[in-house]
Amino acid sequence: MNARRKPPLRILTAVPICDGHDSPIITINLELARHGVEVIYLGYNCPASAIARAAVQEDVHAIGISSYNGGHIAFFDEVVGCLHKYGGQRIPLFGGGGGTITPQDEAVMKRRGVDRIFFAGTPLQEIVSTVIKHYSRPLNRQRGLHGDRKMARAITVAESSKSELRSPKQAPNRKLQIVNRKSFVAGVTGPGGAGKSTLIDELVRRYLQQHPQGRVAVLANDPSHPDSGGAILGDRASMIYAQHDRVFMRSLATRGHLSGLSSATRAALEILKSSGEVDFIFVESVGIGQESDPFQLFGRRRRLVDASLLVMSPYYGGRIQLQKIGLLNGADFVAINKCDQPAAKTAKAEIAERLEANQRGQKLFGTIAARHGDPGVDALYAAIEEKANRQ
Amino acid sequence: MSSLSQVVESVGNYNRFVSQQMTRARTQRKFARSLVQRWHKIKAQIETTESPTGTALPRLALPQTDEPGEVARYLFGEGLPGEFPFANAAYREMYLSSDKSEIRNPKSEIEEPTRLFAGLGLAEDTNARFHYLSKHQKSVRLSTAFDGPTLYGLDSDYEGVLGKVGEGGVAVDTVEDMERLYAGFDLTDKNSSVSMTINAPAPAILAMYVAAAKRRFGPRVVEQLRGTIQADILKEVQAQNEMIFPVEAALRFLTDMAEYTTQHMPRWYPISISGYHIAEAGATPVQQAAFTLSNGFAYVDMFKTRGMDVNQFGPRLSFFLDSGLDIEYLVLGRVCRRIWAIGMRDVFKADPRAQLLKLHTQTSGRSLIAAEFKNNLTRTAVELMMAYINSTNSCHSNSADEPFTTPTEEYVRLASHAQSIILEETGLFKQMMNVFGGSPGLQILERQVEQQILDVFTEIEQLGGVLPAMEQRYQRSQIQQAAHTYEKQINSGHRPVIGLNKYASEETMPSPKLERTLPVKQKAQVARLHAFKKKHAKKAAVALQRLENVCRSGGNVFAELLNAVEVCSLGQITTALQGCVGRFRPMV
Repeated sequence: MNARRKPPLRILTAVPICDGHDSPIITINLELARHGVEVIYLGYNCPASAIARAAVQEDVHAIGISSYNGGHIAFFDEVVGCLHKYGGQRIPLFGGGGGTITPQDEAVMKRRGVDRIFFAGTPLQEIVSTVIKHYSRPLNRQRGLHGDRKMARAITVAESSKSELRSPKQAPNRKLQIVNRKSFVAGVTGPGGAGKSTLIDELVRRYLQQHPQGRVAVLANDPSHPDSGGAILGDRASMIYAQHDRVFMRSLATRGHLSGLSSATRAALEILKSSGEVDFIFVESVGIGQESDPFQLFGRRRRLVDASLLVMSPYYGGRIQLQKIGLLNGADFVAINKCDQPAAKTAKAEIAERLEANQRGQKLFGTIAARHGDPGVDALYAAIEEKANRQ
Repeated sequence: MSSLSQVVESVGNYNRFVSQQMTRARTQRKFARSLVQRWHKIKAQIETTESPTGTALPRLALPQTDEPGEVARYLFGEGLPGEFPFANAAYREMYLSSDKSEIRNPKSEIEEPTRLFAGLGLAEDTNARFHYLSKHQKSVRLSTAFDGPTLYGLDSDYEGVLGKVGEGGVAVDTVEDMERLYAGFDLTDKNSSVSMTINAPAPAILAMYVAAAKRRFGPRVVEQLRGTIQADILKEVQAQNEMIFPVEAALRFLTDMAEYTTQHMPRWYPISISGYHIAEAGATPVQQAAFTLSNGFAYVDMFKTRGMDVNQFGPRLSFFLDSGLDIEYLVLGRVCRRIWAIGMRDVFKADPRAQLLKLHTQTSGRSLIAAEFKNNLTRTAVELMMAYINSTNSCHSNSADEPFTTPTEEYVRLASHAQSIILEETGLFKQMMNVFGGSPGLQILERQVEQQILDVFTEIEQLGGVLPAMEQRYQRSQIQQAAHTYEKQINSGHRPVIGLNKYASEETMPSPKLERTLPVKQKAQVARLHAFKKKHAKKAAVALQRLENVCRSGGNVFAELLNAVEVCSLGQITTALQGCVGRFRPMV
């Protein structure tokens, strides 16, 4: 990918609460991504507060809402209100809803702070080109920001600078590496489709339950499209428990950086740690292969994380394959997710044997993240928590 | 081998059986003779009638042939209306005019197919719309649409849903709303039928309906209640996205409800296996039929696993398909009835009553557009024609103003009259049964569509069956891909949409009358709900605790909901159950 390309436009898209019509927005998401936009997709049935919170944390250029179930005037009003509450009042809001939003509605909605409505029959191309043209404003290093807004903007700056993970000297936030060392960073990695996001969400849920005051952050990495530079960052849509005021979540596109993480990850971690706002941080890598080492567990570079979790599915293709997965040597915890699959029994035995040979006291768990209250996830959470407490 | 591949095999076997019978009829004289004799006997028994202009007509049209092979193809391959494999119709005389009722077999079933889906504002507003709609109907046929918060199991006072209260459907929070909703209708009449389009919260909503009916008609009304609740969890996950509990839990609650209604509500349909929303989300007609039927077979497996008898619950399953403008819709219902009948008979060993696919059809909402919206009247009329050619058992016709509003009375009336015009004013369906069945075009389409459906079954089977395929997002991604193709076809003009990408005038957006729920009403609903919650606060806490206990201990949640709804709101119930089983995690 062209390194000199200017930072991509970031757009948050969502469907309102009590509305499941996601087909139009999915089509628009794909088209935006194809044109180089980083789309943070929040999913359907989204409360106004979740939209505003996500928009601020993701530091997007604009929010697009696709509403088909009626009640749009009140709903958009509420999003505008929530944006004020979360400090995102400057983020423009656009929307559409086929024929359900009339020109009269549009007039009312515009008066109340909605930037633009796309009416029924607007060609897809026109929607995409209008969004790109009108919302591609640079996000300035605004002074006087607080809380989530401040962290979010600092991460945006780190993302759009030339800083490289490999050369932390150039990280723009070195000055910030001072105060708060107490936040514990857990890195979660594994092949695509193993269930990393679901597992993290379940761990977040347990954290929130057990720490009524604590705050947790999630850095979710997803790959950028190699040609267009766009991306669909959809982790928020399935991470339901992470859509919470005590969670700071940020979706990062790798923007051509091939290590499995955005090149801004180290900087983002420093920003989160030094903010003094979060106690626990999960970093999720993109889906990885045999040679990957996203958290720099090996080699001389400083490790990115305090604990590492490798999530595997029971289908990895045989015992010999396990020898090729370097991370099985480095990860502190290994979870075989989807443990209800028939292949899980064999997988557990083979991986246990592989870990034993390392003699590093690595812990193995069988989890079913998709099942509510899974005891395997409970055990994994307890082990991570214990490691954090020892830190 | 799961039941789906057995269905594929049994349909294949059945088709081979039909071919064999045709060959036999053409080669074995004795068989041919008995077949043709039977054929003549059937023909001789058909009554005749007359068109208004004096043309003599048989009440049942049959192929004009005595060739034994062709007779075998028709009798075994399609079946007479009301006979296995039911390709032509579920019943012998679907919509035929009852002018000759005195000589008609009194047992034969006559359909009153018109159903108009309605729901707007508060319960009393929808009740008024129901009374308006049923003014000219012989029987009570109420089809209920719920608003967004109700569909998601939320109360009207849930944070951020106020604007959606009473929008696109009726707001129901409590048993008291349910009482208002059907006030003035005799729910005990044997011809009354109430349908409710709701899925994830269906058990709580049906419990409210039962409770409301008991309040008005006494405890013995339960077994008299006749109607349908949609409750199709699988299609929600695959297409419509109105899910609130994890799939496994939602399916358990559904099975609890089906188990109860099968035992105690013999006239109730506890599930309407729906392709409509699958099609509206973008599926092709073939995908719609394939996913719907495979979901249906998955439910049969599930209910059997619970220990229910296929001959008891089988006749209480019903189906719901979309009728759009693509040509495959001409045969969709016909093909589905046939596959279902063969599968139920040969794989599940069901008796004839449980082999019958009873079909509700709705015209396509997706085919309607806002630009030059009065064209939607024509679109809907054509779709209705296709639904009736498929001998649908019941039908809803969309209103032309739906692309921008909850239907207003003017367009609801036109939609309703469209059905009356087709069924009562034209002579297409009322004098002669089976006008189109057996035509060359239908035959070609039927064979093609059937084969494609079976191919999809095989794909699902290869992924491990309906539920594993769903976990792998197979159905969702297929639907999304088809939706994307459809959009591209419209954008490129490959799929003409008159008034939009072809023959479009520069006419500005219409500004027709809108049916919206006033904020003052929405607030009134919240006030009413608060009063209910306050009045029952103490008892609700106890009832919810009992509900949670039943849920955790694996008992029948529906049976407990019948008590809980007396004092708890929908939202309270949803929250309590989510506390036990968790929330639904969307698949993206």
